[in-house]
Amino acid sequence: MLSINSISKSFDKGKTFALQEVSFNLKEGDVCAIVGESGSGKTTLVRLIAGLERPDHGSIILNNKELSSVKKLVPPEKRKIGLVFQEYALFPHFDLLKNVSYGISKLKNKKERALEMLDLVGLSGLEKRYPHQLSGGQQQRVALARALAPNPSLLILDEPFSNLDAMLRMQLRSQVFEIIKKTGVTAIFVTHDTQDALSVADEILILQHGKVIQKDQASNLYIKPNSVYVASLFGNTIQLSKELQTAFDCPLNPNCNHAIRNENLSINEECEYVTHARVLKKTFMGNATQLLLKLDNGHQISVVTKDTNVADRIKIGFNSTDVLEFAG
Amino acid sequence: MKQAGSSDIFSIKSRLRRLKRDTNRWSIFTLAIVLFIALPVIAIAVKLLEGPGETWWHLVDNLLADYIGNSFFLIFTCSFLVLIMGVGTAWLVARFEFPFRKQLEWLLILPLAIPSYIVAYAYAGVFDYGGSLELILRWLNLEFVRIDIMNKFGLAFVLSISLFPYVYVSSRAFFLNQAGNLLEASTMLGVGEFKSFFRLMLPLARPAIIAGLILVLMEVLNDYGAAQYFGVNTFTTGIFRAWFSLEEPETAVYLSALLIFIVFALILFEKWQRKNIQVTGNKASGRTHRKMGTKPMEWLKFFLVLIPVILGFFIPVGQLIYWAFLTAEKVFDLDFIMLSLQSFGIALITSLVTVLFATLLIYFAKWSSINGIKSISRLGILGYAIPGAVVAIGIMIPTLAFDKWFINTMDTVFGVKTGFLFNGTLVALVYAYSVRFLAVAYNPIESTALKVSNSIPDSSKMLGVGNFKTFLKIEFPLIKTGILSAVILVFIDVLKELPLTLILKPFHINTLAVKAFEYASDEMVMEAAIPSLFIIFTATIPVIFLNKLLIKE
Repeated sequence: MLSINSISKSFDKGKTFALQEVSFNLKEGDVCAIVGESGSGKTTLVRLIAGLERPDHGSIILNNKELSSVKKLVPPEKRKIGLVFQEYALFPHFDLLKNVSYGISKLKNKKERALEMLDLVGLSGLEKRYPHQLSGGQQQRVALARALAPNPSLLILDEPFSNLDAMLRMQLRSQVFEIIKKTGVTAIFVTHDTQDALSVADEILILQHGKVIQKDQASNLYIKPNSVYVASLFGNTIQLSKELQTAFDCPLNPNCNHAIRNENLSINEECEYVTHARVLKKTFMGNATQLLLKLDNGHQISVVTKDTNVADRIKIGFNSTDVLEFAG
Repeated sequence: MKQAGSSDIFSIKSRLRRLKRDTNRWSIFTLAIVLFIALPVIAIAVKLLEGPGETWWHLVDNLLADYIGNSFFLIFTCSFLVLIMGVGTAWLVARFEFPFRKQLEWLLILPLAIPSYIVAYAYAGVFDYGGSLELILRWLNLEFVRIDIMNKFGLAFVLSISLFPYVYVSSRAFFLNQAGNLLEASTMLGVGEFKSFFRLMLPLARPAIIAGLILVLMEVLNDYGAAQYFGVNTFTTGIFRAWFSLEEPETAVYLSALLIFIVFALILFEKWQRKNIQVTGNKASGRTHRKMGTKPMEWLKFFLVLIPVILGFFIPVGQLIYWAFLTAEKVFDLDFIMLSLQSFGIALITSLVTVLFATLLIYFAKWSSINGIKSISRLGILGYAIPGAVVAIGIMIPTLAFDKWFINTMDTVFGVKTGFLFNGTLVALVYAYSVRFLAVAYNPIESTALKVSNSIPDSSKMLGVGNFKTFLKIEFPLIKTGILSAVILVFIDVLKELPLTLILKPFHINTLAVKAFEYASDEMVMEAAIPSLFIIFTATIPVIFLNKLLIKE
């Protein structure tokens, strides 16, 4: 239903590219997460879809209608796309009812619809309140209700949880996506937090330096990342360089890059490839301990373990099935 | 980092294609407003091509040196005086605690409520034979030594004492909020108060101080009433003489062009000094904490700060009130009330029109999606730099040409006799005011508009509401205070304006400023007191009100 075709966008008169030749498609009803570090172009990408930015190249098509291209631009107000802003952007001088009903002026049962939406996000009874009287989490839900009220064909959430603390974030994340699933709307959300993405997205799109690195289902991305970068986004990984391969005595395909996830390294257990190491330094991290290891061939690596009581000299190893292989 | 597939993005063809896509009606409206505002300057530039008038070379030989000499004398002397008064008082109120500091802090702004030409009238009265000074000295049994202030030295004094608050306001803002942490660091390093001020604060505050100074100098070059009354030849008095006495528009245009050149040189200097040393870096921040001193020192500071307030506000106002009592019976009649109402009415209409233009300019440029348009839109506020007399001449040229063409066409084509459409009407006057005061409205509106995050109007658009409706429903309610301050500020400036009004006002209409000027020119300076006080009081009340409004925010 949504198709992005080799979109490019530059800033500073072409000196820097925010996005380069980005293409992807999205199915009806899917929830897609766009993951990337700050500066990867993820916010620019959703703003292009929303019509708040103009592409230098490429096109955006939603439900067979061309929204953006080099020749044509449908203004944001005509796109029927809902957008929940990072800072919520509630209208400070309107109460919640007016905020939520703002976008549904064309419907007759405006008020009922707005109340229904407030009920959906669990805020019924607060319709006379003003945004500044609400907590961050409540404001977030109002912003969601407001964006969903006009029945958008696509919902975009830009860093929806970045302004909330960790506890609230987890709670709200499941609430918000329950609501989204309930309405069945196709949704895109931007995040730099891979936990957010893994837990709720059907599909994940990884952006780096304005380019799509990988797009796949969440589980596939974790099992089969196509680059060291993608692998490292979903947890600590250790790149298996030539020296490490010798240390563990595991010759791998020299034409490819390899890595192993930290959690797949086992300490003092039997594995296919093992080596011995001396613990140089232990850093207590609460629920885990970080170890700086010096392998027998002199190479240093750093690993995290749940085991808080590690001896000074350990055996460390992994199995061939856990090795991640990337085309060089 | 051009990529194979992206390289055609920067070809001329695809640039033009995007320019065509991104050009919307807002871009065109923005350009239209800027062009409308720039028309007077363009008109002067075009008129320059027609060559100077007959008296131009005579003027160059005999008077130009005088104009340039006096203008530069005023620029340097006023700079010196306003810097001492403005920066000195700002530093004292920002850095030290002393009796009545809070009251003095806003009293120091009040001289701005009195137009320079009115300060000039008042001081002429103070130092005249039989003037207030002589009366007081005689009453004290002291000998009266007359000081003649009706010359360029007196003019420099009068302009400085009425304009120094521009420097005071800009440097106080810097001293209060921008460099507190650096000052504390300097104190912790054992550097004394004097050295901290001269070696650290003064260089740091330089861009802010010079920004205020440039405003003063623009007003100095804009002044007509004070210079005319004191008989000092400046560019503005020269323009008036060329226009009215010599009836030679070409010569007035040439003088205007020279004056514009000087003003723009000042603006470029201001921009250059900002770039030259980047002292306004983000490192400087933090409030300045006030120091207490010993009692005698505190009172000394109090008296030092009080001097400019007395000179700039209480003496002129006192003199005017004294005159007002002497002349009330003669001046204050029904005609005068009608005149006041006319004056307020014109100021109100103008401020509404100007605020509308400023708001449209800000938002049209915002809605335009071409980046260049945004920079061009800022050209629209340069009208403030152009002296009122020059704006008036610049408006006169195109409106006169249009009216002549219009009357001619109506006569020859339709056989209808018509009068002037613009020239000598309120339309031309209000147009000229808007050109000159657009920046006065633009700045407060822009600064409140900047406080509204872009995502607020953006989210309105995402909910299906277009630009214009978004402005009315969302942005307007959020920038109301900015708009209100803009209306008040333009209102005051129009009420005080003299040279532009003198040239463009319709024959049957009068303003308080013009009335005061006419009395003073007709050797009836005492009678000028009542219209002057009307201007001062209407200008003072909103200044206090605005101060409260801004504090509340």
